[in-house]
Amino acid sequence: MNRYEKAAGAAVALMLIAGAAIFFYAPTDWLQGPVQRIFYLHVSSAIAAFGSFAVVLVGGVIYLRNASPVADRLARAGALVGVVFTTVTLVMGMLWAKKVWGAFWVWDARLTSTLVLWIIYAGYLLVRRLADPGRQAARFAAVVGIFGFIDVPVVYFSVSWWATQHPGPVIINDALPPQMLATFLFTMACTAVLAGVMIAIRYRIEALLDERERVFEPANVIVAREPQTAP
Amino acid sequence: MTYLVLAYAFAVAVLGGYLVWSLRRLRELERRQL
Repeated sequence: MNRYEKAAGAAVALMLIAGAAIFFYAPTDWLQGPVQRIFYLHVSSAIAAFGSFAVVLVGGVIYLRNASPVADRLARAGALVGVVFTTVTLVMGMLWAKKVWGAFWVWDARLTSTLVLWIIYAGYLLVRRLADPGRQAARFAAVVGIFGFIDVPVVYFSVSWWATQHPGPVIINDALPPQMLATFLFTMACTAVLAGVMIAIRYRIEALLDERERVFEPANVIVAREPQTAP
Repeated sequence: MTYLVLAYAFAVAVLGGYLVWSLRRLRELERRQL
């Protein structure tokens, strides 16, 4: 068992403890009933996705400054893990919405901006897959990753900026009873650890792929050449 | 209750599936490197 497998095992163990807290420690919501327990992982996944996209932003900025392959790999890893967590956020939210709103989807600002976020970073991954690997693709992806991050604060503040069916923030408004708050904070911490482990594993995969394809070696760098004149 | 179970089953499938897939991919790449 290598260190990545050990870290993954530890993250899974933490998530199992979080699951036990969600189902056996947190009280049942008197208004919504058991379905409210979706909240804990739904919101934690959204925060993990935001964190992962922040990694893409930081990686992109560093890459544009010094063309560091490390930063580019970090951005690629963050984008994939962010899309995974955004998928979980969206689908869990849709199932919760069906129960409490009577519809899987409404085109309100929070849901729409989150879907746009998913599309931006899924597009980022698609571009990375289709483009020839190398510095040109990395530079273009860094720009997409940086501009894509503009949607993260839009998602976060959408419930304040527009009238939405999606509820506003409950954490900063102190709207959770202590046991629910403790369960949420613990789940959020465990999900953050899981996201960190996933990014570390993906980073290692990207490093091995780069090494195999020799992506960042000078011979593979496309440079503008002076036109050759005939002798 | 059905939606709660479905939501967590989906999350476990996606997060667990992704984690297992990435660990297998990593193991495969490291084996090829040796």
